[in-house]
Amino acid sequence: MSYYFAIIGTQDNPLFEYEFGSSKQGGDGVARFPEQARHMNQFIVHSSLDIVEEVQWASGQMYLKCIDRFYNNYVSCFMTGGNVKFFLLHAPSQPASSTATRASTSIAANPTAPQTEEAIKQFFNEIYENWVKTIMNPFYQVNMEVKSPVFRSRVAAAGKKYL
Amino acid sequence: MTSPDNVSPPEPAASPLRMSLPKTRGSAETQSMASSASTLPYRVSNPSVSSLFASTSTPTGSRPSSPSGGLGRSISLSGSVFGGIPGDSQQLPPAERPEDPRNLIIQAFIPHVAVHTSQDTHDLVKDKGFNGGLWELLRPFGERVQGKVIVRDSIGAGRSYDNFAVRFVQLGDGLEIPEGVPGSRKSEEGKGPSLNGGINESKSFPAQSSRTGGSISQIETLVDRHLTHAEDFPNMTGEDYLTFKENRDVDTASPFYTLYLRRLLSGIPLTPHESFAHPVACVIAISSRNTNPIETLRNLYQESSVGLKRLPLWVSNEYLRYYVLVHDEERDDIAKSMTMFDQMKRHFGLHCHLLRLRSSNCVATDDDSVQFPRSEWVTASEEIADIQEREMQEDIDGSFPCIYESDMTAIKTFIRGMVTQSVVPSMERCISTWNDQVASRRRGISGRFISLSKKWTGFGSSSRNSSSNGAGSGSNYDALQGFYRPDSPEAVMRKLADYAFMLRDWKLAQSTYELLRSDFMNDKAWKYHAATNEMAAISTLLIPQALSSKVRLETVDQMLESACYSYITRCGASYGALRSLLLGTELLRLRGGSATEDAAKWGTKLLEYKVVGVIGDALIKERISACYASKKGAGSGLWGHRLRKSAVWSILAADAWLTLGKPQQSKQRLDEASAKYSSLANKDSLSHFKMANDFSQGLGNEVQLALYPESSVEESGAIGDLTETRIAEESEDFDSRPHRRSLMGATVPALATLGSAPLHGTVMEGEGDLKPPDHFE
Repeated sequence: MSYYFAIIGTQDNPLFEYEFGSSKQGGDGVARFPEQARHMNQFIVHSSLDIVEEVQWASGQMYLKCIDRFYNNYVSCFMTGGNVKFFLLHAPSQPASSTATRASTSIAANPTAPQTEEAIKQFFNEIYENWVKTIMNPFYQVNMEVKSPVFRSRVAAAGKKYL
Repeated sequence: MTSPDNVSPPEPAASPLRMSLPKTRGSAETQSMASSASTLPYRVSNPSVSSLFASTSTPTGSRPSSPSGGLGRSISLSGSVFGGIPGDSQQLPPAERPEDPRNLIIQAFIPHVAVHTSQDTHDLVKDKGFNGGLWELLRPFGERVQGKVIVRDSIGAGRSYDNFAVRFVQLGDGLEIPEGVPGSRKSEEGKGPSLNGGINESKSFPAQSSRTGGSISQIETLVDRHLTHAEDFPNMTGEDYLTFKENRDVDTASPFYTLYLRRLLSGIPLTPHESFAHPVACVIAISSRNTNPIETLRNLYQESSVGLKRLPLWVSNEYLRYYVLVHDEERDDIAKSMTMFDQMKRHFGLHCHLLRLRSSNCVATDDDSVQFPRSEWVTASEEIADIQEREMQEDIDGSFPCIYESDMTAIKTFIRGMVTQSVVPSMERCISTWNDQVASRRRGISGRFISLSKKWTGFGSSSRNSSSNGAGSGSNYDALQGFYRPDSPEAVMRKLADYAFMLRDWKLAQSTYELLRSDFMNDKAWKYHAATNEMAAISTLLIPQALSSKVRLETVDQMLESACYSYITRCGASYGALRSLLLGTELLRLRGGSATEDAAKWGTKLLEYKVVGVIGDALIKERISACYASKKGAGSGLWGHRLRKSAVWSILAADAWLTLGKPQQSKQRLDEASAKYSSLANKDSLSHFKMANDFSQGLGNEVQLALYPESSVEESGAIGDLTETRIAEESEDFDSRPHRRSLMGATVPALATLGSAPLHGTVMEGEGDLKPPDHFE
């Protein structure tokens, strides 16, 4: 399973992007998006903003769960209080339908399973914590890109831990 | 411009890869399908050919556009927070424009009238210059019956339609060519047994099989021909698009898509699982040249009901016969024909007509000649054959078949008389009889018991499989041969529903399909099940009534889901799946509101099932974009719109078109996409996404380059090595692409200024000895 994580600001502009792969079940933590289709991740996330803007009013939760799907890519979203959105695009390495082993517990194979939902929730929550700490930096202004290497490593660690 | 390989046999031409593309674009599939179109002769200056392409090269938007899609209608997305009142009326506006999908559907599923003539009639019509016989002469006029046709529905209320149509086919046309599922019983199922050798023989006629639609690859080939034509003569479409760009809204589908849909629905194959192509009536015709008229008519009748021309066993034989005497105005005596006609009337009753035609061949210079109209509902393979034939023609004047005006009037009167006095009344009678005798029994309480008891006996007995070929286990389905006998209640009800659908009584059709769905499910008649689900969904969507999103989710989605599952997984019938999903998508889109989301969902599903080829793929991407675009936002902030989704699909479509070597189409989609992005609240939001932005910019550059090679070469220094390889590759195509020749002059000086030494050499070499493009990259 490959993941693309993006933080989108209030002007629909990306503040932070990070690609990683699954570390669970012998994964090496490297994203395996096809090279010629990597731009599609950004297109998909950008287009999912349409859905978020509608779904965000339907529930009071910050974690909106899996909101969108594009072929075999699933998009989960988390709204922060400041209208900054976390997006996690997850693409199972093999199509979810080909259940040869039926590994129902593995997050990687089942993008819509409750386990996956829960894991992503924990991932988002941890990042939210770090995100709040990062933007408390007095030099940070709204919609500025976040380049902090510390934040990036924390995101990587969270990804390793939960996904 | 006569190319020496003029005589090369026609083969499916998918995409002439004139545009060379960088290898990163996954163009392997297109290459494999590629370019026999380059071997097709190109007769640029032939007006008769270009007139064939008129259906896609004239602007569709020039017609008065009615507020069809989502205009002026309160949106109800009851699943969403931006909705008005849930369950708000989504009244559908009347379908007016010809390219409206509802209109297309209405015109596609119409009564079929078979034509069976004697040899002397055939000769008479042949003298007039129509080699196909009387059928060919009648066909275009059947597509629009003159005047209003009044149809009574099941309640007895009369409704009049001024665009009623019937389709004339030759008796035995449309027998399905077995689908290419090797060695499976599934393909057998569709074919059914052929009882006698006669059908098999006639099946081998190429002309006859070309009149059977249902081949996706043929449709793709045809649309590709149209596209290639549009690419080669861009000023035709280009200007049109410029002039009516302003009033081009999302509801105007591209003409190529309309063509695709139309060809998909033309030539509905004659199959057991749906009765649309089963003849509603049969015209039996003799001419005044016949010496023994009554005897001949009897023979023809015998032939059509038991003889050589007998349709397969699963077609009910009890359709109306309509007897026609074709009188030759020029060679025969009208008085004699009148007595003959009187004799016919005495023998065969009221369903008779005397058709007076002139037998000489009409030419354009004759006094009262009018151009013979082209049939709009020819199948894809027929149209391809037509295009190829015209391209082969030596004379370039657009000589079209003509017909005397008096003949045309006679034919129109004949068709009107037949439809209003015989065909429609007999269909109405059938509907009311079947409704009373078969369907209403099933609708009542006792009917529920019947189906329930059937279900339980089937459930209880384990020997169901062994006895399923006979009438055992209470099922009328002949699982071995895969059809219901035409007199079984299921087949009659299916026919009732289809008749009701053809007479536009959607409610009756829908309720009958609804009854049948579970029956076919219990009998495991999967193809029947799929087709019934498909039509149930379509007729539900055609009922001009509000559909709450909950009902829609429970009925329409369910039906479409089981239709395409049965079609694809159980029967391997991709044509049926494509038809059901495409029509479902279009009809859902017209409903507006949250239904558009559903429409887009089904469109995406269709892509995932991979039932279409490359052309269909690009066209469907276009439509998904249109589906999203037709969801209008609410309020000043346009909350709940789907512009970003729509734009992404436009870009995907543009990418697909460019891969197929259709830069004109690609440019239109790109323009759409950028217009959509710039209409967002945050106009330049995409430009912050680096890779996505680079991609769309790159796409734009490639399209520019493909369209205007000269201008782009000037600035190619900045674009970099991508451009250079491109120039090199394009230089190979000079010989095949005459109007690109101007590039030859521009290339060399431009390259000289580039001064990129390593590439320079390769380019020259490439120009010299025409290496395949793979060697540069």
